[in-house]
Parts: sequence; structure tokens; C-alpha cells
Amino acid sequence: MYQDNEDDYKFAACTYFAKNHPGETCGSNGLPLTPSSITILGLAQRLLTIEHPNLCTYLDIIRGKHERIIVVAEVVGKSLSDFKSKFTINEVVNIAHQVADALKFLHEQGITHRTLSDDNILVDGEGRVKLFNYGLYYMTGGGNEVSFPLGLPKYLSPETILNGGGPAADVWTFGIILLELCIGKLWQNLKPGPILRRILTLVHANNPAERMAREHDCYDAYKQLPENLRLVIEKCLKIYPRERATFSEIVDDLSQINTSEMAEVKQPRGLMGCKLQYLYHWWQLAGGDIQAELKKNGLIKNSPPILSMPIAILLDGCTIGGKTGALFDCRIAKYSLGLLKSRLSHISAHDYYPLMHERRKQYDAVSLPKIIRERDTEYQFYRLLWFQRLLHGYPYTAPYIRAEAEIDIPPLVRGDVWAALLGVVGDIEEQYERIDKETPTPTDRQIDVDIPRCHQYCWLLCGSAGHRTLKRLLKAWLLMNPQYVYWQGLDSLTAPFLYLNFCNEARAFACLSAFVPKFLHNFFLKDNSMVIKEYLAKFWQMTAFHEPELASHLHEINFVPELFAIPWFLTMFSHVFPLHKIVHLWDALLVEGPSLPLFMGVGILRQLRDTLLESGFNECILLFSDLPEIDIGECVKESIDMCRSSPRSISYRRFTNEARTKEPMDMVEIPMEMLFAEICPRISLSDFFSLICQDKSCVIDIRSNLLYEKSCIEGSINVPYSGVHLGQHELRALGLNPQRVLKEAMKVKKTIVVASAEDETAQLFSDYLVKCSVPRVCIFHGGISAVQTHLPSLFTTPAPPNKNGNK
Amino acid sequence: MATNRSGAAQRPNGAPQTKVCQFKLVLLGESAVGKSSLVLRFVKGQFHEYQESTIGAAFLTQTVCLDDTTVKFEIWDTAGQERYHSLAPMYYRGAQAAIVVYDITNQDTFGRAKNWVKELQRQASPSIVIALAGNKSDLAAKRMVEFEEAQAYADENGLLFMETSAKTAMNVNDIFLAIANKLPKSEGAGAAGAGGARRLADGEQPRPSSCCK
Repeated sequence: MYQDNEDDYKFAACTYFAKNHPGETCGSNGLPLTPSSITILGLAQRLLTIEHPNLCTYLDIIRGKHERIIVVAEVVGKSLSDFKSKFTINEVVNIAHQVADALKFLHEQGITHRTLSDDNILVDGEGRVKLFNYGLYYMTGGGNEVSFPLGLPKYLSPETILNGGGPAADVWTFGIILLELCIGKLWQNLKPGPILRRILTLVHANNPAERMAREHDCYDAYKQLPENLRLVIEKCLKIYPRERATFSEIVDDLSQINTSEMAEVKQPRGLMGCKLQYLYHWWQLAGGDIQAELKKNGLIKNSPPILSMPIAILLDGCTIGGKTGALFDCRIAKYSLGLLKSRLSHISAHDYYPLMHERRKQYDAVSLPKIIRERDTEYQFYRLLWFQRLLHGYPYTAPYIRAEAEIDIPPLVRGDVWAALLGVVGDIEEQYERIDKETPTPTDRQIDVDIPRCHQYCWLLCGSAGHRTLKRLLKAWLLMNPQYVYWQGLDSLTAPFLYLNFCNEARAFACLSAFVPKFLHNFFLKDNSMVIKEYLAKFWQMTAFHEPELASHLHEINFVPELFAIPWFLTMFSHVFPLHKIVHLWDALLVEGPSLPLFMGVGILRQLRDTLLESGFNECILLFSDLPEIDIGECVKESIDMCRSSPRSISYRRFTNEARTKEPMDMVEIPMEMLFAEICPRISLSDFFSLICQDKSCVIDIRSNLLYEKSCIEGSINVPYSGVHLGQHELRALGLNPQRVLKEAMKVKKTIVVASAEDETAQLFSDYLVKCSVPRVCIFHGGISAVQTHLPSLFTTPAPPNKNGNK
Repeated sequence: MATNRSGAAQRPNGAPQTKVCQFKLVLLGESAVGKSSLVLRFVKGQFHEYQESTIGAAFLTQTVCLDDTTVKFEIWDTAGQERYHSLAPMYYRGAQAAIVVYDITNQDTFGRAKNWVKELQRQASPSIVIALAGNKSDLAAKRMVEFEEAQAYADENGLLFMETSAKTAMNVNDIFLAIANKLPKSEGAGAAGAGGARRLADGEQPRPSSCCK
């Protein structure tokens, strides 16, 4: 009965205006009131997650200019109001059954439809029904956030007209629609006022359904309906809401009457078989523009600004006249997928079903920056389908997910991928459900003042839904981690997880709970000073290791990391950067592991290097108080390079979640005071051994010539400490041979290992090398004697004469 | 919203008889009372409704001109949360001036401000100039701390006192100017006044240590 190029139109948009707050009024905290559109967006997020065969999937909620809201959702077939022919009783029962199923589901979710009407019940060619735009009442906070009334007058229940009404109002509306399907449209030529009066007069009727049929001269037709169907209608059209049937009863009744068998849904293959959310995403990447189409269809009209100026503005900011809110515009604009189809037409059917054991395709796009890859239709097409496959197999596919995430993570599934990278498994909903998130605690005040300032440029986090959820997450986390306390910054740290899991609070919580022990172990202890000091000291050592010139300059002007880097690490940069940068930073963090942040810190310094080198203390600190634009892609790339090229032991920290090693070959732990004093990090014997095996190290033995000649590490050079002039920051001062060897080592990026008999001289000499701008300097942990004990095979007698020989 | 309503930072070129003095100033007070907002208003003339919380501390500078002196403030804006208290001495050590901020709509923050004043009187340099700022005066309808009460407290303790509003810019520049006026600008005061005044800035001494004629 209905044939169009239906396949091309998968989704549609409608639009309306949120209520404007009169004037610019402030809330009790002195902050401006949250705009209605923001509140709507926050509420609507939940709708995006609803999936039911009889409900059109919501795809997107967009905030346009002037408090405009655009809702994008799936569409199928056409609406009941567009069908001109009458339905048979069987068809009616079948449609009613599916509508009731959908409403039953919504009521179970605590969502009241309230705007059900014949134009938002969609029926496709095979008789399958989907409700469209069922979330209007829900997303507008029960109509509070819009200035137009909700629902068509003739479908309103008596109690709705009088004072609002609850979920039972949907039952009434359902009854009216069912009645209309049976006896034809009601009150067709009446204006809203008389219709409402008619409905209210029904209050006196014993049997409103019968009464309405009689008013429309359809009493006989009504009486001819099968009795069980009539009974359902009458159960719905009770005046008192509490007397009406519930949808689970209605579904039961209708399933007994419904005889028509639904044809098996055949899942289309290829592009049209992909998840609708993916289609929408690709469509947007391919250049699809929701607003442009709305304009073309006349749903968005631009009017000259002069027409929207108010006639008068009162002193309190209230306006009179000007643009006034219109009624709800129920028109929709449908979007064609034609563009996307042609864009992806060359992709073979085989590529829609990637197999894990096959080698993944190589794409040209991989060499482009991540931000560009994220906007590439075809690349995202392959990546999303591939990740979908992998995520489906989680947790068994965890290693594959990690390997793929190393390349990049498609933004659409970032939340899922992060959870997989953090090893989130099990019934997290159940666990989260059990936590008391409501009982007031003394920390609440601090949380309350921090949340309204946390990433508020993000419209998800700045609405009341975002505020409430963030507070619950923080309270839950604090309750589950009694050893920790709330430090300012914890809010920023939680924000990215909330942002990516806005409708999956439990997963946001599980991610946070897994993230902290891995990356910020003990950072939120009441007394965290040692943990932070160690971290900053390590960060400073890594700076000296990779950026010696910068490090010595900053040391010289006494510019210590305590002054600027605490928020960096305490919040893993989430207090420093906006969310769109944090996600890229954390993508890398989650893959590379807990030592990466140290190098990210160095990466940031490196980008500011030139400015810092020519700045004094004040200029430096000013620079960090108002951090200039940092290229995150570059920073991530550099920090990964640094992290991977650094021996593991040099970034060792004692305050981590990992078990402490007992193996002397791996030990690098030194007392804290020593750590704070040493500019260069320590390297473990085993790391040193593997460097030697790869010929990536250059050992400088600073013992006396005498000891050196007795026995030394093979290939090392001797620079007796007693002969070094620490004041002269030039390599030349070390003598020709050492200078040449060091220069050579620097050229091929060897790690310079200082070996000494005493800690003190090793420390002073390594500082000296840093001041000479020698990169990659570290100290042998345990000194020469440790090598002698554990790696005696490395020792040899130097070839005479030692001054010229270099082995 | 000029940064400097009175004085103006830019003076006629090379006014020969102006002294330049540098002072370290620290802002203290409970979190969310508006410390960062006051500084932002004073330094950049801006106001952000959703000013994010300060972790650790932030540093900014601003110059104001008095009749015969140019005063450069080095401002340390500290974190308000009690937990960050242990960091505070690092910032107020050697400061010549402090602004202790409270929120006039919240009595608790006034109590906390008093504690900060006590701590400064005990621990900071004895010559420190302390100002008390009752911020958010634009929210007078929700006032919980009476002007007279705060004024009496300030008088008792020899503090400068003003009610300010970072949002409307009321008294923001004035309170900094009042401090600048009260600071001793004689030779040897200024930066060198307290031991360790330049502790955080030892490296940077391009200008004469305190004042130059």
C-alpha cells in the first residue's frame, strides 16, 4: 500500500524552541540560570540510549541558535494520519498491539509519552509500527522547558486538561486512537476549545467510548466491533485514571485477539544493515547537514532581526512583544542517505563483515593526524565496523582492542573502548546501584561549589542532569574509597568519564574506579604530599633526561614543578585542557600505561621550550598560569616516543599500584631525600644490560684512573671525577677523547650511564653533564660495585694505553 | 571595564621621577568565594561566570600607577580548598600584601577568612599589609555577613576592608590601589622587605631589587 524509495530515508528531524528565561536572572549561587535548551539536552541524552523494535531510535539532539532544539530520529513508513484508507479489524488490532507494546516499555522506563497522536505513530509497508518523537514530554521536563502546550487537544485525557495527569493519560490517548481506528476520526471540524469542552463533558458519561461513538453517529459500527476489542477500548477510556487498565494488561488482552503473524524481520545486508547510529555518523562525516535540510524544508525560517525585537523591555529585563514562541511544529524533514550510499558504493560487501583472523586492511589515512582521520568518512567506516566486531568479543578480544586503540579510537565508540582498555567487566550496574549516593556528607559543600565550575563550556556537563550525575559519581567514588578524600581536581578527573558515558553512569563510575589505582595511586590520600613530591621529582628527572638544556635553565631560575605541575598530574591534565583535547591525551594514556603522563609533561614543556629558555621566573610562571595553545597530537606523539625510548627503570616510582620488585637487578629505589636531590634518574642493572646488548649505551666511569685500569666495564670510558672542573659547563673541558665519545653517543641517541663508586660523585657529575646539555644521562643504581656483583662478565681490563684507546 | 580606572597603567613615556616598586601579593580564602575572579577582573578586566577552580596556585602580574610610583603586583592566587592549605605558606611566605577574601552570602567563609588573618598575623612577615574583601556584593539580596560586622572586625585587626564584586567590578581596582597606597615605598621596603620575599623568584632580578628612582 505504501511504496516510495523508503530505503533512502532512514531518519528525520523536527525542531522547536525551548523556553526563554525572562531577563537575565541569576540562581541563588549567583550563577546565571541554566538555559532551557541545556536542560533539555541533558534530559534527552537518556532517550538516545533507548532501543525497542516499536520505537524510533533517537539519533541526536542539537542545540541551534536562539534556544532552538533539533531532534533527529529514525523514521519508517508513514504516519497513521497519512493513511487515507480504513484499516481492517485485524490490521487495527495488530497496530494497537505494537503501540501498546512500545508504551508498556516506555512506562517501564519511567517515561510518559503524553503526546501520542496519529501523526507520530509510523507504520511501514509491512505493517510494522514505530512510535516517533515519544520523548518530547520527557526531554522538556514535563513541558516545563517549552512555552507551547504539549499534545493535540483531541487526544488529551480529561485529567490532563484539568491538572496535568500522569502515565495513565497515555492509556486514555491510546484508547481514543484505537477508537478512531475503528470508527473514524473524532471531532474533525471542531476547534480546540470546543474539543476540550467535549472531552470534559465526558466526565459525566458512564461509558465515554459509547458516548463518543453515539455523538459521531457511529454507535452501530461501534457495537459491531468484536466484543473483546470493545472491551479494551472501554478499559482505556475510563474517566478516573486509576480505573484504567495498564499497558501490560492491554498488551495481554491484545495478544489474545491479535491473530496476524508478523513476517520475520529480515535484517538488510550491507550498508542498510549497519547500526543506525553509525549511518547517521557517517552521513554527517560525508557532509550531511541537518540544519541546511531543515531550512530547505522551511522548518527553520530566517526572519529579519528587526522583526524579533521586543516592543518594550521592562526594567527587570522582561520583554513584551517581538518574537513569541510558536506552537509545536510537528512537521518533519526527512534525510536521504543517497549521498552516503554513493560515497561508499565502491566498498565490497565483504568489507562490511570484517573477520578477526584476517589481516586488517592498511589505509592511507593512517598517516594523517588523528583529528583528520576522525573526520574521514571512509576511514571511520572501516574503523567503526572493525571496532564493533572487537567490542562484541570483549573481554576475550582485549589484547586486540588495545592494539587497535594504539592506532586510534573512533570517537563514536570511545566510551566502550576506554572501558575495555581499563578492563571494566562484570555487572557494573548492580554494583553501582548498591552504592549510597544520596546521604549527605561533609564533603558535599566542596563538591557543590566545584561542580558548577567544572568544564562548564560543555553543554552536557553544564546542565542540571550533568551536575547531578557528576555529584553522584563523586560521592559514590568517595564512599567506595574510604582511604581517599576529595581533593579539588577530582571533579575534573571524573568529567571525561561522565562526558563519554553520560547515560551509563555505572560505566563512568567503573572507569573512574579502574583509572585511579592505575594512574593516580594514592594521589587522593589525605596526606598525599610525598606521593606528589615523588611524582614531580620524577617529572623533573625526565625533563633533565630528554630536555637537559631546558631543565638546567629552569633549575637555574628556581622554577620548580610544584609551582605549576600539580594540577597537571593530580588530574592527569583534565584540569588543564578542554575535553576535546583530553580525550586524545587519554586515548594514548590508557594504551601506554602509567608512566606516559610524566613524558606528556615533558612534551608540553618541549612545545614551550623556546619561550621558556628566554624567560625569567616571572615570565615562566605567567606562561603556565595561562597556558598557551598546545598541539595535543604533537605532544602525544612526542611523549610516546620519549616514553618508549626511555629505559623503564628511569621512570620508576615507589608509590604505584604495582608490586615492589625484590630482584636486585631491577631495583632503583633510593631514599626520598636523595631522589629530590638528584637531577638525573637511576637506571637498573637489567635495563643497563639490555642497553649494552643493543649497543645503545655509553658508560662513563668516573672512578680514578687507577681503579679503572684494574678492571672496568667493557666499552666504557674513564673520566676521573677528581679532574673535572664542575664550574666549566663545556664538554671540551673533559678532554678530547671523552668529548668525541660523548658527541658520537649523543648523535646516535645512546643513553649515557654514569658509573661511580660513590653516589655523591655520580650525582654531581651527572648534573654537570645535564648542564652541558647532554641528553639521556642516568646514573647506575648501586654504582660500579653493583655491576661487579651482578654482571661480572661485563668487566674487562682496558686495552692499554687507555688514554687513546676507546673500546 | 578598563583594567585601571584610576591611575592607568600606561603613563606618559619616561616620566623621569617615578619609582617602580614590586610587591608580592597573595590571595587567600575559602574556595568559591571569588579569589580568581577578583584577580582576573583586576588583571584582565574580565569576568567568567564559570571560573574554574584553582588547583595549587596561579600567578599573574599587574601594574598600577600612583602619583609618583609605579607599583607592580606579583599576585599569587591560591587554591581555596582546605586540603591545599599545606601549600599556602609557600605562597604567602615573603608576601608584602595579602587579600583575604570571603563571600558575603556565606557566613562560613567569613569565619575562614578570620582564620586566614590569624594565620597571616602569626606566620607571615610582620609588616604584611592585609586587606579583607567581602566579595559578591552584587548578591546583596542574599547577604549573610553584615557590612558593619566585617568592618568592625577589620578595624580591630588593622585591616583594609572593602566589599567587592568581581562581577560588576565594584571596588576591585580600589582595593588593590588601597593596598598599593598603604605599602611602604621607601628604599629598602618593597621586595626586600621580608626575608625570602624573592624566594620563588631568585633567578629573575633584571630590575633593581626594590625601588629605583
